[in-house]
Amino acid sequence: MIYRLHHATIYEYAEPVLLGTHFMHLVPRTRPGQTIRESVLDVSPTPDNRRNEVDHFGNFTTTVSLTNPHKQFTVALSATIDVAQPAPPAPASTPGFEQIAAASINRADIAEYTLPSALAAPNIELAAYAKTSFPAGEPILSGLLNLNQRVFNDMTYKPGVTNTATTASHALKNRVGVCQDYAHLMIAALRAVGLPARYVSGYLRTSPPAGQVKRRGADQSHAWVSAWIGDYAGWVDFDPTNNLLVSDEHVTLAWGRDFQDVSPLRGIILGGGRHTLRVNVDLDPVLT
Amino acid sequence: MMQGVASSDEMIDRSGRIRTPWVPVLEAFRSIGHEEMGRRAAALNKQVRLAAPYGVVAQHRYDPLPAPLTATEFALLEAGIKQRAGVLNSLLEDLYGRQSVLQNGLIPPIEVFKSRHFVRSLCTGTPLATPRLSLYAADIIRGIDGRFQIVRDHTGIIPSFGHALTLRRVASGTVPELFRAGGLRSLRPAREMLVDHLQRDSQGGMVAILSASAGSPAQSLDMMDDALLARALGVLLIEPGDLATRGGALHVKTLSGLLHVATLIRGLSGIELDPLEQGGRPGAGIPGAFGAIRAGVLNMLNAPGSSLAEVPEIAAYVPQLFETFCGAAPLLPAAKGNILTSASKAPFVDSSGLLSTPLMFRLYGWHDGTGWQVLPGGLAFGLNEAGTPTNMKDIWVLDADEPHYYSGVSHSEPQARVPFLPAAHLPSRMADNLFWLGRSVERLEAAARLLMLALPRLEAGTSLPRDAAERSLITRCLAKAQLLPDDLASGNISGRLLRQSLARRKPMAALLREVTRLVNAASERLSPTMLATVQLALDQATTALVPDEEQALPTILGFAATFAGIAAENMSRDGGWLFLEMGRRLERAEAFAESLSILLDAPPERLEPGLALGIELADSVLSYDLRHAGILAPGPVLAMILADSGNPRSLGFQCSALRWSLDRLGADDDAESARLLHTEATKLASGIADLSAPLGAIAARLRLLSDRVQRRFFTLLPEAHQLEDEEEVMAGTS
Repeated sequence: MIYRLHHATIYEYAEPVLLGTHFMHLVPRTRPGQTIRESVLDVSPTPDNRRNEVDHFGNFTTTVSLTNPHKQFTVALSATIDVAQPAPPAPASTPGFEQIAAASINRADIAEYTLPSALAAPNIELAAYAKTSFPAGEPILSGLLNLNQRVFNDMTYKPGVTNTATTASHALKNRVGVCQDYAHLMIAALRAVGLPARYVSGYLRTSPPAGQVKRRGADQSHAWVSAWIGDYAGWVDFDPTNNLLVSDEHVTLAWGRDFQDVSPLRGIILGGGRHTLRVNVDLDPVLT
Repeated sequence: MMQGVASSDEMIDRSGRIRTPWVPVLEAFRSIGHEEMGRRAAALNKQVRLAAPYGVVAQHRYDPLPAPLTATEFALLEAGIKQRAGVLNSLLEDLYGRQSVLQNGLIPPIEVFKSRHFVRSLCTGTPLATPRLSLYAADIIRGIDGRFQIVRDHTGIIPSFGHALTLRRVASGTVPELFRAGGLRSLRPAREMLVDHLQRDSQGGMVAILSASAGSPAQSLDMMDDALLARALGVLLIEPGDLATRGGALHVKTLSGLLHVATLIRGLSGIELDPLEQGGRPGAGIPGAFGAIRAGVLNMLNAPGSSLAEVPEIAAYVPQLFETFCGAAPLLPAAKGNILTSASKAPFVDSSGLLSTPLMFRLYGWHDGTGWQVLPGGLAFGLNEAGTPTNMKDIWVLDADEPHYYSGVSHSEPQARVPFLPAAHLPSRMADNLFWLGRSVERLEAAARLLMLALPRLEAGTSLPRDAAERSLITRCLAKAQLLPDDLASGNISGRLLRQSLARRKPMAALLREVTRLVNAASERLSPTMLATVQLALDQATTALVPDEEQALPTILGFAATFAGIAAENMSRDGGWLFLEMGRRLERAEAFAESLSILLDAPPERLEPGLALGIELADSVLSYDLRHAGILAPGPVLAMILADSGNPRSLGFQCSALRWSLDRLGADDDAESARLLHTEATKLASGIADLSAPLGAIAARLRLLSDRVQRRFFTLLPEAHQLEDEEEVMAGTS
């Protein structure tokens, strides 16, 4: 599936900003099953200095600095992306989860995602929650699909009650939040049983495929979970907010241990006073 | 004295003989005598501490006796340190680059990824502009078998490097007898090479030590050592708040504007250093530092995250990495078991003579762009029962194994060649602190002077019109100087009421606290002697204030006089002094103009009480009496307190001193304002009518000038704030 993606972020300040420096994760990365055909990140006003880099996780970062006073700051991404996630193997045929946990610890590219992170750190409750989906010998993919469904069922989707600093343990206790909280909960539960899991930020297509319900998180930045199921199939993504196995409705922007590693836009500004923020996201299939 | 020691002793060999390098040390000790040596040790400690920023507690005691190493011993250590530093740098480059040691299972990946010392923002895949490990220190003991062994590495912040470059210079002054022998390798060439390398690598940008001060939100490992290192290398000492990112590079705000900082020697933790990428309060770190390092426009020594190689979880794997990274076994083996029992012992000066204490050597190395250099010296530490380094001594590296002592050549450490630090590079923060220090000392003095004038007069006043007028004038001056609360300022108050108010509000204590705070903030620009003297006088004034503010007034005037005197005698007339001077002159001129506008607010026929008070307030009674035989007449009085350029308390004198300072700083337009004020003050002295309003106007113009000086020189970097990504989610994320 080929998509056209537009993501605009517009800050309007009450007073001029004299100096601004911004660090962004706003250019979609490549990954198996995702090819970036074209991607342009427009920053306005034109920055004095701009750096495009690749971070530790392989994500694209952009750092800009603006030294002319400005009252509006706009970042607009336009991209054309080809998405084709391979179908995962039959769940029952996948290895037992203990095998995956044991293998991941010694893998330089995987081990990091089994470890606690600030927003997705396991605890006893999260371990108990995960155990229900992962009884001894449970094939990894079966357990993941079961956990994905349970998180979807157990959480209540409600914007505005959590924030970017809300942790997985908080999400488990209160069972309410947005995609970020769904994702953190599932990631921390997987880590609690020794499984590697990472936080994926990205986008969901604006209108669902014909005959399907409108997805939560469309028209917005979205977040979900990626789990490693062994060398054969690699990383497989799950969207607990919509109880979906990710196939061709999602475009990946960046990934990390949790939200903090992929925060879309951080900034240090001088001046500015109060500000308002508008975000527009469109992800539409390109008719071919 | 040293009976029954184990075989591993630095001073005594297995057959019980004094080792050659120690012979002259012991000779010097014997000739000085242990009591005198105790006093010299105390003097050495005092001297080093005086070099510390005010309010910083020294973490070590300094021992005057060196720990000598022969040329052969040093050569062994030097080779071992070069090899080890090279391996550790290769390890860091690998962990932040290809991570082959993780892929090959040489280090379990978990150990790296779970460590908070692993700074992901610096994972670039490729080397940075300078080696991640550019400065290195190793803690080493000599084991029971006489071989040197590594206790631990320092790959993040390099501890006590400033001391290592300073201790010998101070010791050569306190124990010159030790330095009579020849054959001691000087630290100077090595230090100069290091400075040259740092400056060459900075390509015209500045080199600075990144530290913290008592009041800053950042934390430094050892502020005192940072200050010593800055002095030893002749570079700026700065803190995160002095830095700003412009165009992707770091700049320090100085009197000559923003200057590019190319190299920072890091005294702060590198783990949470960049609020732009890591979140957190902008003031506690340097927004944009990581990006600048990755882009190669900032060298940070060492790179953030370099401490990863020294943490025990990773250090445990280091011995196995030598084969991979240098194809050879470690020249210096790792120490095993209890280092307290295996370390060799060396004598430290103690109250009873010499105390034999387990010894740990700390040697320093740096990468000079082509290879590793090792400082021919360093520090040796006495370890206490807990194995903690407490006493610190200088390591001497001898020219040869059989050194030619007693050659008769006087060999003290040559004078340091410290690169010239132009006044223009004075950080704005420091100029600001010195300016306000000048103002606050003057404000304290003026308040003390006014109270000393007021108290006896308010006490002993009669109901005669002249006394009543005098009391009224004093009350208004006290109120203007905020030494009286507003509710008491309306009527005529008694001495008793003023005393009660002083006891309740303690205005002098508040003023003195402000002085103390600013001395603290400006301490790095005050010489050790000046700092010690000022500190002593401050302590006396603080103590005197506790029982009674009135009784303390003479002590406070004494403090102000000490401060002024030592500033005049001990500070070079560079940028720092100029700001202290401007602060004093502005405060004195403004306060005096304000007081005089009150005192001279009367028709000519009733000017006399105000004139008398004015001349007393200006501390010019004696001069006036001598010159005019005590006859009070408006003309001569006004000439003396307004116009007299030879009277350091006249208004005109302050204005002309201000003009001189502003001229020196190149602030031509402000210097012109000061000149006009001087002319104005002189002109006022020739009339006697309607002086109050013009004096009030002069005070107002001085306030404007003060504002302009502040805007011109100190516009500190305004505080930045984090643009919350909070709202990003509220508005945008599902």
